[in-house]
Amino acid sequence: MVKECQIIAGNFELAGRASSELKRFLKTQSHMPKSFISRVCSASYEAEINIVIHAVGGFMTYEAKDHEVKLYFYDDGPGIADIKQAMQRGYSTASPIAHMNGFGAGMGLDNIRRLSDQMIIESSPRGTRLTLIFKVGVKDE
Amino acid sequence: MKLTDLLSLCQTTAYTKELFEEKDIKFAFCSDLMSDALVIMNSVKDKKILEKTLLITGLATQQSIRTAEMLDVGVVLLVRGKIPSEKVIQLAYESNIQLYSTDLTMFNTSGMLYQLGIKGVKYDIQW
Repeated sequence: MVKECQIIAGNFELAGRASSELKRFLKTQSHMPKSFISRVCSASYEAEINIVIHAVGGFMTYEAKDHEVKLYFYDDGPGIADIKQAMQRGYSTASPIAHMNGFGAGMGLDNIRRLSDQMIIESSPRGTRLTLIFKVGVKDE
Repeated sequence: MKLTDLLSLCQTTAYTKELFEEKDIKFAFCSDLMSDALVIMNSVKDKKILEKTLLITGLATQQSIRTAEMLDVGVVLLVRGKIPSEKVIQLAYESNIQLYSTDLTMFNTSGMLYQLGIKGVKYDIQW
């Protein structure tokens, strides 16, 4: 089952809404450990914040099957010019409004990489697609 | 430490009175950067620890509530006299997060709680 949530760029009041919805859904999956759900949703929240900060708009879709969750984030932002550089802790192009909201310190992408089991970024000047795969495993023991 | 005792010690203002639930607080984490809260608190393997954890922050926006929600931390304490907006309070109610505020600074709040035996959440695993 695939579900879709809209993410509105620049709107910090609603930022995190998609990840909240994901969390509520995953809580209904009784076979998934709490630590796994928390890991998935924290990564999702960071990715959602990235779209709020950098993109013009976007959406997330999520898919849960057995002991695996797949998240796809699509946005029509400016794209990431240098993915390797963007992955470095501390590198940030975020605006002061992101800092006022407790984000934008250049930790997001690296945190997502740490929290997920597989991370794929495809980016062009027309937008970015981020795929995250989570499997219940050693990170949740 | 009982949440009630902690709240009276820090002379807090309660913003979600109807949500009050007594808790045994044993751990705390403080940060204004939610990315750090997300990744460090996520490294805690035993999620029962986070149920006994207090998030101390100077960030009075929706993001501190969302962060607590993602981590299953039930209590947020705003420091330096931060006053949350109505929308933030409403989100705290929706997310079932107890929200308080104190005039104390982050350092003084943390120091006082540390002296009373509250432990800091730290990296539980090495990446």
